[in-house]
Amino acid sequence: MWKFDTIRSWPKQAIFYIWACLSPAAGINMHEESPDISAHSQSLAMPEKLTKEWVAANRIPPVRRESDLVLDMTRTRLLDSAGAALVHLLDRECRRAGSRLVLQGIDRKVQATLASWTKDMPGEEPEAEALPGAALVALGEQGLAFAREVTTALSVLAEILYWGTFGLLKRRDYRRGVLGEQMYQLGYKAIGVTVSLAFLIGIVLSIQSALQLRQFGADVFLVAMVVWGMIREIGPLMTAIILAARSGSATTAEIATMGVQEEIDALRTMGLNHIQFVVVPKFWAISLTMPVLSLLSTTFGIVGGFAVSMFYLDLSPALFWSELTKNVILKDFVISFIKSIVFAWLIIWIGAYYGFKVKGGAEEVGRATTASVVTALFVIIIADAIFSFVYNIKF
Amino acid sequence: MPSTQPIIEVQNLVAKYGDKTVLHDVSTRIFPSEVRVILGGSGCGKTTLLKHIIGLLKPFSGTIRVFGTPIGDLDSPETTDVLKRVGITYQNGALLGSLTVGENIALPLRMHTTLPESIIREMVIMKLSQVDMPHAADLYPGELSGGMRKRAAVARALAMDPPLLFCDEPSAGLDPVTSAGLDDLLLRLREALGITIVVVTHELLSIQTIADNIIFLHKGTLLFDGSLRDARALTRGPLYDFFERHAEDSGSDAAATSAPGGENHS
Repeated sequence: MWKFDTIRSWPKQAIFYIWACLSPAAGINMHEESPDISAHSQSLAMPEKLTKEWVAANRIPPVRRESDLVLDMTRTRLLDSAGAALVHLLDRECRRAGSRLVLQGIDRKVQATLASWTKDMPGEEPEAEALPGAALVALGEQGLAFAREVTTALSVLAEILYWGTFGLLKRRDYRRGVLGEQMYQLGYKAIGVTVSLAFLIGIVLSIQSALQLRQFGADVFLVAMVVWGMIREIGPLMTAIILAARSGSATTAEIATMGVQEEIDALRTMGLNHIQFVVVPKFWAISLTMPVLSLLSTTFGIVGGFAVSMFYLDLSPALFWSELTKNVILKDFVISFIKSIVFAWLIIWIGAYYGFKVKGGAEEVGRATTASVVTALFVIIIADAIFSFVYNIKF
Repeated sequence: MPSTQPIIEVQNLVAKYGDKTVLHDVSTRIFPSEVRVILGGSGCGKTTLLKHIIGLLKPFSGTIRVFGTPIGDLDSPETTDVLKRVGITYQNGALLGSLTVGENIALPLRMHTTLPESIIREMVIMKLSQVDMPHAADLYPGELSGGMRKRAAVARALAMDPPLLFCDEPSAGLDPVTSAGLDDLLLRLREALGITIVVVTHELLSIQTIADNIIFLHKGTLLFDGSLRDARALTRGPLYDFFERHAEDSGSDAAATSAPGGENHS
């Protein structure tokens, strides 16, 4: 707060009046004359135009303890907000240093401008003190936040599973034909990219393996390698990775955008179950198409391997076929099927969770989509590793 | 009418979207320190006119001068220099969502000047104080209410001390009390800083509070260009209808807001 006792000059009343009108909260000492400036004061001449250009070009004058700073503003006729900011900043620093800022010979108009810039600015705020054990508190808060996130994620999964199965007996809040639409979007449209990638990976893998196997004359084992690798691992995994990047991200972006634009709220207030309306069709679509896609990519991967063994290793098709039938057992197909279903659910779960998590604006949609894809890929590969362990346990 | 040079001069502006003519031969001049309201129903070309003045759209024909400089390509140095002296608030605030409110306001200062960081911080607090939200610097735009977002947008528009401020629908989507607060803010800024303000709106209440002069657009044609009093004196025509119909609609609102008047709504 500004102290009136610093004014000793004659137009006390007039200045008091002007100040009361212009700057009830401003805290800058104004002196037409300066009778009681301390002996160690330093004086600085201000330019005619105290504007951005000047403030940017000149150093901020240093404030010394117990030494008043006098700004000679006799020449100043123009002041912009950068100038006002400089004056305000110096005033605050002077206060902190126990000295004062004195504006000498300031023009009435400039004074009014300065007041209009700075009158609404808040006063000093006490700086927040650091609490003891703040690190521990932060750790605890992070732990709680993590626990909350896990709970939310699990509840999203529970809702999807419930409303996708038993909940369908209670209510059916999806649009007619939406399942076919989603199967077309999530499944059919992904066939091209999945199949061609699987085919290429089949070729690459078999060439690399063939180089090694040929050294030992063990060409014929290539078939078993390619077939096992494709059915058990690469087929479901590649499909899952492609679908996570393609459909998981799309799911997150769609749900997040709906949330931002209050469409989810609109659905709920229309008496529709938002999970069933938005997520369940995708859930079923991906559950139904993923095994098919996985099977397709497995097949094309094997075709890639077949091409290599034919043209690179000169194995006959008949030999390839007999090796294939010898090595493939039903358990491989079962595990491949289970894997693809689990991956599908992971994709839709993570996609939906990140979508519903978005609360803010457009930039958060992008962030959530990225997080969704990264998490989905990570979780899918972890799940795949777990499957590999389980598969190799001898029952 | 002041005899000084106009700040904005629009001459025979014709604007088209494809084959559709949106503005037919609009000419007007805006002078320093006035509050000019561009007025008209939805889809009459208000925002189109504004976008032409600030160079976001290119005129089909006609010329526009701001501060005496013809407005051309947005990337040309002349136009950039003009735009540094113009503050603009958009309909939805258009604050950058990935930056805090304080960083949003500091953005033009950091990009266009070499001011030291301590001065910029001080200026950010100053601008925010002028719009009654001095403690909002560290919040993200997503955490603000609609009214606060608009006021923050005004603060950002004021960052470079522009002598000219454009506001596109400052009161759209706000309740009458909050929008009255925003109008009050604009008037205070004009009084304190002497800036010229161009407001695009269709809110009758705002117009009556803030306008010195108005431009009335009707289906892309400029029907009226003059003082608010002259406009109110009309007894027929589309502008008269506009005022009358609004008066019926918002009669109760006017009664409700006239009492608290220019309160602060932080």
